[in-house]
Amino acid sequence: MYGYHELPFSVEQEGISISMERVGERWVYRRTFGSDEVEKLVLGNDKSLIINPVEPLNTPKEITPNLLIEFEKTLLLGAGEKQQIFLTFPVEIGIFISEKANKNLEILDVLSLVKQKFTLYGEVSNGVVCKYWKSRVYTSPPSLNPLEEGVMELTLRNTSSEWVKISKAVFNAYGMKLYYDGDVFMKARMDILNKNSAETGFELMPPEGGRKGALLKDKRARKEAFGIYGLRKLGLVPLKFYMGWGL
Amino acid sequence: MIPDINFSDINFFDYALYKTTMNGEVHNVTLGALLKFVLVLALSVIAARIITIYLRRSLQDKVSKDVLEAVIKLLYYGTLGVVFISILPLIGLDPSGLLLAGGVAGIVIGFASQNIVGNLVSGFFLMIERPIKIGDQVEVNGISGYVSDIRIISTLVRTYDGLLVRIPNEQVFTTNITNLVGHPVRRFEYTVGIRYSDDADAAIWIIKDLIDKEPFALQSPSPSVFVNELGDSSVNIVVRVWAPVSEWFGLKTRLLWNIKKTLEENGIEVPFPQRVLHFETGAKKGQKVIEEMKEAEEIENVLNHEERTLY
Repeated sequence: MYGYHELPFSVEQEGISISMERVGERWVYRRTFGSDEVEKLVLGNDKSLIINPVEPLNTPKEITPNLLIEFEKTLLLGAGEKQQIFLTFPVEIGIFISEKANKNLEILDVLSLVKQKFTLYGEVSNGVVCKYWKSRVYTSPPSLNPLEEGVMELTLRNTSSEWVKISKAVFNAYGMKLYYDGDVFMKARMDILNKNSAETGFELMPPEGGRKGALLKDKRARKEAFGIYGLRKLGLVPLKFYMGWGL
Repeated sequence: MIPDINFSDINFFDYALYKTTMNGEVHNVTLGALLKFVLVLALSVIAARIITIYLRRSLQDKVSKDVLEAVIKLLYYGTLGVVFISILPLIGLDPSGLLLAGGVAGIVIGFASQNIVGNLVSGFFLMIERPIKIGDQVEVNGISGYVSDIRIISTLVRTYDGLLVRIPNEQVFTTNITNLVGHPVRRFEYTVGIRYSDDADAAIWIIKDLIDKEPFALQSPSPSVFVNELGDSSVNIVVRVWAPVSEWFGLKTRLLWNIKKTLEENGIEVPFPQRVLHFETGAKKGQKVIEEMKEAEEIENVLNHEERTLY
C-alpha cells in the first residue's frame, strides 16, 4: 500500500479500501474502513497519490504532539552504559495528494488500524497529555504488520553516575522521522540525565541495514516518509523532549 | 480700498499659533509644526497597525494566541508611546518637563479617574500573572465562557450562549477566577445504580471495558470504577474518569449513555426507586390479615426502612 501511486488508483488491504477516480473534471477520493467513510473532491489534473506511514499523533484527533511509549517491563541500566533496544510504536497511514509539477504536498486523509489511547505524563497541574502506547522491549527488530506497528530503534545512554530504572519514554513528534520499505522504522535516542529525567530525540539519518533475518532487505535503504508535522513550516519548535517527571 | 494681497506670498505653515517656553527659550508653535505632529502621529498609528497585522499573520501558527496578543499590544502601544513622546517638542512640549509634571499630574489624574487607573493597573497585573489566557474557559463573577480578549481596561468573555460580556479588569483581578482549562486534564464522575439482583462485578467489568475503548479516557491518571454505596433502591457504582480538558465535555456526555446502553444490553438495568410489598394470601387468614393490617398501619409511622411487610 505504501508508496507513490499514479492516478487513477485503488487498493483494498486489511479492511481498508482507498480509491481515487476521475469523475468529469475532478478526482474523487474515497476511503472506507469499517463504518468510517471519507470522500473528498480534488480539482485539477496531474496529481499523484502518496501513501506512507506518518507520526502516530493525528487520530482520532490531534490534541498533542507527544508520544509516550510505556515498556512492558522495567529496564535497569548501569551508570555510564549505552544500550540499544527495539520497541514498537503505533503507525498511522497518511494519504497525501501531490502536484506532479512542483511536488507540493497536501494531506488528504489519515487513518489508524490500532487502538487509540491517551495518557498524562507528569502532574495533573502541569503535566503533558501524550498519545499512549505500550510496547514489549526487544533485543532485535520484531516482525510486525507495517500498517499497524512500526519498529523503533532506541539507543539508551545513561550519562548519570548511578543505576537508573526506565519504564517509559516520551517523544516529540516535531522531530520524528519515519522510514518505510516493507516495515516502518524510526531511530531514536534517550539520554538519561539522572534517576528522574532524560532527554529524547530522533536520529534524522536513515538507518543503515535493517531487520535481521531479512538479508536482502538489509542491502536496501528505506524510503523517508513524508510526515504531517514535517509539512508544517514552523519556526522555533523544540525537536527534543525533556522528560522531567520520571522515567 | 482693498489692499492688493498676493496670497502666494503668505506661508500658512509658518503661522504661529502659540508660544511656549522650552529649556528657557521661547518657542513658536506654527501651524506647520502642529500639522507635522498630527501627520507623524497618524503615520505611526498606521505603521504600528501594519506591523501588528503582519506579525499576527506570520506568527499565528507559531506562537500561542495569548502570548501573541500580549506581544502585539505591547509593541503597538509601546511604539505609539515612544513616537508620541519624541514628537512632543513639535507642539512646544518638553518631554523632560512632562516627566517632571507627571508626578503631580499622576496624582491629579489618579484621584480624578480612580476606576480607570484601577482597571489599568489590574489589566497590567493580569497580563503579568496570567491567571487566564485568551481562549481559556473561565468563570468570573458568575459569568462563564471563553476569554475572547484581555484588554488594558477590560476583559471580554464570550458566554457559552454567544453573548459578549465586558468585565472591568479590576473586577477580574480582585474576584475569584475559576479557570476550567487551567490544567491539562480534568476529571468527571458518574454514579450508576444497578439492581440488587444484578452482578455488580460484571457491571464494573463492562464499564471498565467501555472506558478502555475510549481514546480520550486517560490511561493515567487511571480511571476508577467501584461500588460506593448500597442505596435504597440500587447498588451504586461510582465511575471516575480523567480526560484532556479539550475533550472532557464530549467524553463525559458520550460515555454515560454508552454505559447505560451497554449495561442494558447485558441484562443489567438501572432501577427506578422502588418499594417491595409482600402479601400473604389465604381465605383462612382473611380476618387475621385485616386485623394485622390495622396493626401495621399503627406502626407504619415508626417504620422507615425500604421493605414494609403486610401480613
